[in-house]
Amino acid sequence: MKHLPASATALLGLLACACKPSESAGGDSSTGAGTPGGVPLVSELPPELIEGTPKPMKVPNLEPAAKAAPEFLVPEGTTLLSAGKPVTSSDDFPLIGDLTLVTDGDKNAGEGYFVELMDGLQWVQIDLEQSQPIEAVWVWHFHSQKRAYHDVIVQVSDDPEFASGVTTVFNNDYDDSAGMGKGGDRPYVETRFGKVIDAGGAKGRYVRLYSQGNTSNQMNHYIEVEVHGAPAS
Amino acid sequence: MVTPGQPRRNTLDRRGFLARAGGAVGAGLVLGAPSIARAAGSPNDKIQLAIVGFGKQGRVLFEALSSVPDITRKVHFRAVCDIWDYNRKGGMAKCRALQKDQPDALPNGYVDIDEMLAKETGLDAAIVATPDFWHAPHTIRCLEAGLHVYCEKMMSNTIEGARSMVEAMERSGKLCQIGHQRRSNPRYRYTLEQLVRGHAICGQIVNINGQWNRSVNASRDIGYNPKLTIDEERLRRYGYDSMHQFMNWRTYRDLSGGPISDLGAHQIDIFNWFLGCRPKAVFATGGHSYFKDREHFDNVMTTFDYDTPQGEVRAFYQVLTTTSAGGGYYESFMGTEGTINISERAAFTNIYRESSAPSWDELIARGYLKRQAAPAPAGGGAGGGAIASYESEAPEAYQLPGELNLPPHQPHLVNFLDAVRGEAELTCDARHAFESEAPIYWVNPSAREKRRIELTSEHLDA
Repeated sequence: MKHLPASATALLGLLACACKPSESAGGDSSTGAGTPGGVPLVSELPPELIEGTPKPMKVPNLEPAAKAAPEFLVPEGTTLLSAGKPVTSSDDFPLIGDLTLVTDGDKNAGEGYFVELMDGLQWVQIDLEQSQPIEAVWVWHFHSQKRAYHDVIVQVSDDPEFASGVTTVFNNDYDDSAGMGKGGDRPYVETRFGKVIDAGGAKGRYVRLYSQGNTSNQMNHYIEVEVHGAPAS
Repeated sequence: MVTPGQPRRNTLDRRGFLARAGGAVGAGLVLGAPSIARAAGSPNDKIQLAIVGFGKQGRVLFEALSSVPDITRKVHFRAVCDIWDYNRKGGMAKCRALQKDQPDALPNGYVDIDEMLAKETGLDAAIVATPDFWHAPHTIRCLEAGLHVYCEKMMSNTIEGARSMVEAMERSGKLCQIGHQRRSNPRYRYTLEQLVRGHAICGQIVNINGQWNRSVNASRDIGYNPKLTIDEERLRRYGYDSMHQFMNWRTYRDLSGGPISDLGAHQIDIFNWFLGCRPKAVFATGGHSYFKDREHFDNVMTTFDYDTPQGEVRAFYQVLTTTSAGGGYYESFMGTEGTINISERAAFTNIYRESSAPSWDELIARGYLKRQAAPAPAGGGAGGGAIASYESEAPEAYQLPGELNLPPHQPHLVNFLDAVRGEAELTCDARHAFESEAPIYWVNPSAREKRRIELTSEHLDA
């Protein structure tokens, strides 16, 4: 993980103010501030749509819900690698929706925009079709209700089976309930701003994201995952 | 299976509450498990179940059932009926995942309930979670087909529809549970049976206050992916003018009762249940204060007047869809000796003893209540801005001895399944639900006509 000194963080605040309301770059919901001297990571953010009655979130060390677009710096030239790329998962029969929704570019809340995988530890895997340095993974699990997903683990590898050459770029499994080792990252609350994960330039063709239910139910959901990195050479 | 009319009394004493709520035994997942254990063993003992309507509420009910211990040994989800392919296929997939180790894991899917009832001759029961205006037709068709029914509340969008459900239940001799899930909630049952009735800790209940407040963002129209729009012919066949109306039926007058029905009915039911009587008058006001294009009022405030054996009671209820502040959702029973604030959320559940009331120390010693930390001094202490001479002494705060850590709908569904097996009495059958719901049907007319309505048997009887 990369972190910036306080003075740099202050500068990022100024950068954030210059952003358009519907766009964003790194910040309080990201795991780090990204690449010093880089450019803001930008993506179109969905509108807020909260439905139903909120449920209590009993998770230790929970990061507060983001109130603004994340601010995160990436090397100039970083691009979206995952748009329309093939997605596989540990669940052969998603309960709701299909896996194409993960990389279709639509981050709206509401019915028909998310894929639901069954309970237990499940993963989705994006095939970037080339091995490339990855700077950030921006993920929206489900944002029409305030909730936190358990055991969010994000890995990068050139091995489609993730048996070797695996780089873990995020792990908030605080009690090793996923059996992949404890992680030091904090659980967080889903919002329309998504979660920016610092991939630190990890190189790989495949990105795999795990989760194990959430604070509202036992299922696993993805609205969208964006993988940002250096363009294909 | 059940023979209606031979129910078993459901009561909840302190020990039962602790066991069910999990406060004393820790896990809390014991609720319901012992009473359905008898059905285990033979697959033939399973209740063959259909879910009619697998939208948002259908999913809530399914997920609540899914976490009942050994549910697949007690129930088989045989059919899913929903006019939206997205809902129906999702519901079938969820059932298959839950029943993956069972024969016939994938339930049959149907667009039309009549086709389902014609083909699925082995069904025992149905859960109806369709929009309100379909509750009566769907429930009655299932009852007439010989099924026991769990139907979501509000019973219907019209009082005539609700009356027809009571009549159909009694004519068919089948069970019909209405989804006022607090009626089976151990927190509510314990509070009513042990604290309100058993120990009368409120003294004389004089006033009731209740509310459910939601923010604008939590009240916006439900979005959907336009790629999944139902074709126009099917929408019209099932009573919808548009996909927007199908998704947002709660905002249309012909399809629902609006916020006072969606949210208020849960809590006004508690008013009537706890008091054990119906109001004699209703006076309401409402408006299109923010969501100006909606057919229903977005904010409603209403009062009810009661004559109870203890004396008169006035109740106030508000449902706001434009503001979340103000303490969430709860019902507050305010008496001369104590006040009970109760909610499905433990955080909103608190009990207060008036300083002039008899001591509750014995209730605490016997485990009926827990004392909270010392309350803040009246007026917020020095410099609090209060005029001390106008203030009463701050009441002492107490809590219940346990808390429910199960999905809120689960105890009510388990009660239904137990009753289908003849092992319990329904906690909210259609007749009792109607008696409690009937006054709610008169809130919107009072607000629209800007007049107090004196409620007579003509208004309230089934």
